[in-house]
Amino acid sequence: MSESSSPQPAVEVGTELPSIEQVSNLTTSVMYAGASGDFNPLHYDQGFAGQVSPTGGIIAHGMFSMGLASRVLTAFAGGPERVLEVQVRFTRPWPLGTTSTFGGKVTAIEDGVATVALTGTNESGDRILKGTGRIRL
Amino acid sequence: MALNPDKVGTTYPTYTYEVSREKIRDYADALGETDPRYFSEGDDCVAPPTFAASFTIVKGGQAAFADPDLGTHPTLVHGAQRYVFGDRPMRPGDVLNCTPRIADISTRGSNEFMVTEVACVFADSGEPAVRSEATIVFLGSAPAAADAKPATQEGAA
Repeated sequence: MSESSSPQPAVEVGTELPSIEQVSNLTTSVMYAGASGDFNPLHYDQGFAGQVSPTGGIIAHGMFSMGLASRVLTAFAGGPERVLEVQVRFTRPWPLGTTSTFGGKVTAIEDGVATVALTGTNESGDRILKGTGRIRL
Repeated sequence: MALNPDKVGTTYPTYTYEVSREKIRDYADALGETDPRYFSEGDDCVAPPTFAASFTIVKGGQAAFADPDLGTHPTLVHGAQRYVFGDRPMRPGDVLNCTPRIADISTRGSNEFMVTEVACVFADSGEPAVRSEATIVFLGSAPAAADAKPATQEGAA
């Protein structure tokens, strides 16, 4: 347990990472706010969100969705010491009460480093997040 | 009010962040993480990569948002985020020196885009721990907003 586990064998271009599904709700939002120190009321206060939210309702932290995409990447890589970089664009809001799916696919391998395309997808099949990770194999 | 492009390149005072086991655990819990090392009481405890969010997003933006010459305003969304990591993961007890800098200011349609970089190094060795690049989208404040075609809203969170 003291060393990182090895990444999955036979990683090649096109390999899909095991995906995760996550519902966002008031509990996940408040836990993320407390953990990250980001107490923007847009993420837990309907009165505030009703005035400023792009959806008119409470939306999840963008960084919550990035954290989940990074979780997919890091688990596949075998631990945080193998993660070189992760970057995302937040393309749609993630309303509370909905489920999103986070996944990835290897798009390139060079000099022992895999590039992974990361996605976050909502219940309608629209992307809430698009990104890229680089991991050491 | 528009952002002041002369502020590109400005650095703000370095702040210190001490990584703790409890904050790593809270962060891992909030993301439903299962790697036992994130919850370990032992020397093998490490932080998940995006644990960096807990000391680069709000703390990293504080000085810029308090700068009266920069011209930020509250109608904004987080458009994009990038983390580049150093050679070793963050562990409990690590002290990080974090320096925010305005890396870029640009305009697209009626929106303004500001990239705030936070370079975090391990205080004991000076080695890079993580570099954060946050793209904040300020909605509707670009100087040419009246004439410009409205931009697609990229940011969402």
